[in-house]
Amino acid sequence: MNGDARGWRMALVPDTLINPRTLARAALPDVLGVLTACGYGVLQLPPPGEHGLLLAVIADQVAEYAHHGYAVVAIGVRGEPGDGLHWRRLAPLLRHRGVALPPRHLIRPDVDAATEGQRFAAFLSGYDLPVEAQRHWRV
Amino acid sequence: MVTTSRRIDGGKEPGVERDAPRKVALVANCLLNQNAKVCEGARYRGLVNPVVEALRSRGYQLQQLPCPELAFAGVRRWWAVYEQYDTPAYRAHCRRLAQAIAPLIEQYLRRGDEVILIGLDGSPSTGVRFTSSKPDWGGRPNRPEDDWEIVPRRGVWIEELEAELARRGLPPLPATGWALDMGRFDEAGSRRDLEQFLDSREIAAGSRGDDSAAP
Repeated sequence: MNGDARGWRMALVPDTLINPRTLARAALPDVLGVLTACGYGVLQLPPPGEHGLLLAVIADQVAEYAHHGYAVVAIGVRGEPGDGLHWRRLAPLLRHRGVALPPRHLIRPDVDAATEGQRFAAFLSGYDLPVEAQRHWRV
Repeated sequence: MVTTSRRIDGGKEPGVERDAPRKVALVANCLLNQNAKVCEGARYRGLVNPVVEALRSRGYQLQQLPCPELAFAGVRRWWAVYEQYDTPAYRAHCRRLAQAIAPLIEQYLRRGDEVILIGLDGSPSTGVRFTSSKPDWGGRPNRPEDDWEIVPRRGVWIEELEAELARRGLPPLPATGWALDMGRFDEAGSRRDLEQFLDSREIAAGSRGDDSAAP
């Protein structure tokens, strides 16, 4: 894609990591900062609650990406219900669309934020589709 | 133009979470994920950091909107203008997406949050102040480069989202667009434009506070 800067990688991210409450902010790495530095886009998951239609819309988008050479990961938060990922609802929606469940990385709020940030960055940097899949799609 | 945002409950609705009202920015999908753009349209690898920074530094929470074009025509879709997306099927699709996200927006407004909308100017779907127009586009995709026009109107998705919010009795949202799809992209100008919009919100909020304190 001439002149196109897309990074071909993105992360499903819980609302609580995009908009951390004031008290939680100090305990968490700067997730958006790390995602930016690693060249990932964001697919934001809704806050806790019933969001069936919105999750179906998100699953449609994940399927479209996954079927066309994009790498998708999921970032959860240890201690949040369902790790903040709505996994009980989202996983069947993805399977129904023929999408393999994305690799998951859990942020641990009880661990030093700087250390967690490094671990998170290492996960993001280390993940992509196999080279053959990249060559097939990313021209 | 700056629209005054109204809290539809005056911040006092009973039974709603008692946290302090927040500032929430509804952002176009591709402002957090440039992979959603049409081929050759991505200017960043992932997040559009100047937008994210401008909003977060002013205390806004982010709420990403769905991308209507991606879910409708796919990630390998052709470029298109407003007129090509102005169809009953695409509008029905946009209404479905609006119904998916509107409950969250309604929840923000009913709890007294200040909600703004940041779209993508020049986009046929997500344009706020401007969209792209060329009534004779169609057929074999062999148009000369950049022969579309930029016209002052909403994109189709923003029209349908605003209509859904109005159907729910919610007030119009103050809105602007990041000028990514206006032909030649000027990041510094876009940043200035966005910051002016956000700072004017602060000033408006400040003067409303003064008014309410007056006898």
